[in-house]
Amino acid sequence: MKILYFAHVAQALGRREDVLEVPAPVSADALWEQLLALRPALAPYRATIHLARNNEYAGAADRFANGDEVALIPPVSGG
Amino acid sequence: MWTEILFLATPLPAPPPPPDSVFGLAGAWAEFHGCVRASEHGKKISALNYDIHEVMARKVLTAHLDALAKKHGLVAARFWHRFGTVPVGEAAVYAAIAAPHRREAFAALAELMDRLKTDVPIWKVEAVPA
Repeated sequence: MKILYFAHVAQALGRREDVLEVPAPVSADALWEQLLALRPALAPYRATIHLARNNEYAGAADRFANGDEVALIPPVSGG
Repeated sequence: MWTEILFLATPLPAPPPPPDSVFGLAGAWAEFHGCVRASEHGKKISALNYDIHEVMARKVLTAHLDALAKKHGLVAARFWHRFGTVPVGEAAVYAAIAAPHRREAFAALAELMDRLKTDVPIWKVEAVPA
């Protein structure tokens, strides 16, 4: 799946996207485990980030699969 | 409802008049320009940098505008947001709402700006020091 980073998170990582492969659809918690293993610098942001799957905010029951586009959405501040 | 959502990396242009489709329907065309102030968190700045998730922002904004249209009977909405570097004094956002009457137009415009700050994936990333 494609992982998208924005704003302060993208700055902290020095990149705007990653590609992650999962053997089967995973929960948000399982996805976070993989994300933190890949990018430990995400750790301070986890508590405030919402996950979005295919351009919609993900709910607790959502599963994330290869082929999904997952965006890490920090607190918004437009306007 | 006629809707226009644009995200621009350049200065926002002078807004055109309401679309022809609202002619005779809208008694009110309320506009808002949100501009960059010269200070952020008590420090003088020369600009703000914005980032955006364009596809998702468009989707979330469209849902908000649809909900506001149903609630207030709107006939048109225009929403522009700039991204990248926006210098002090320039507009980062422009929103306009057409409704049959002014109360609905003002209310919907205020609600749209409040909703922008709840879940539309647009960010002020950093302030550029003056």
